[in-house]
Amino acid sequence: MATRTDNEIRELSPEEWDQLVDEKARKYLGMSGAEFERRLNAGEIDIDDSPDVTRVAMLLPLHAPHK
Amino acid sequence: MPHTSRTPAEAVEHYRGRIVRLLSCVTSAHTTVSGYHASDLPHRLSLADGDPVRLRGEARLTLDATEQYRVHEDAEGWRVEIVGYLYAIGYEGRELVAYHWHPHGDSPITRPHMHVGADIRVGDRWLGKVHLPTGAVSLDRIVALAIVELGAEPLREDWERLIGEAAVR
Repeated sequence: MATRTDNEIRELSPEEWDQLVDEKARKYLGMSGAEFERRLNAGEIDIDDSPDVTRVAMLLPLHAPHK
Repeated sequence: MPHTSRTPAEAVEHYRGRIVRLLSCVTSAHTTVSGYHASDLPHRLSLADGDPVRLRGEARLTLDATEQYRVHEDAEGWRVEIVGYLYAIGYEGRELVAYHWHPHGDSPITRPHMHVGADIRVGDRWLGKVHLPTGAVSLDRIVALAIVELGAEPLREDWERLIGEAAVR
């Protein structure tokens, strides 16, 4: 049996999700979302470097390894 | 038996409903999802836009929860598969314990693991930076951990039933 909750569910478009990542990267890491994604994908930032890094990285659609 | 659906959107609807009911045991914060269709890249579901949310109770706990998921079809129908996660419980502004699985990307650590917020030095390493191996962990276990072991106050009386239902995919 389904149970109702008052918890809101928001669906974001790809553009809105990019804005969310940008907002969180600036808030937690002091850089833009684009810069964070570039540096993460280049291996300059370790996803496990800090709780804040992991928090923002997990908002990105993690790609297959480059290796 | 994992739940299967007739369409990708129905599978995601089932998944997000299960997660939102589970999270309603400890928070009224919103949940955000990135998509309802099959895709090469994983979609994301995140509690409170990725911010930690404060849990009710004497202990000043917070909860982080983000899952990465794929929608795929097999002989039974469409289903959602979790392909990565971040679950973390914070205490008084610091991360107490974090469960990670990020098998994609460039991290050398691709298996499920956990980090503990411990200021213990092991040789030249801090224990908090060590990737402690785990099996795959699911969000229902984290919500149960917060309530049963760490003293988060459930927001609803039927929390045990909802945790049990969430454990059945």
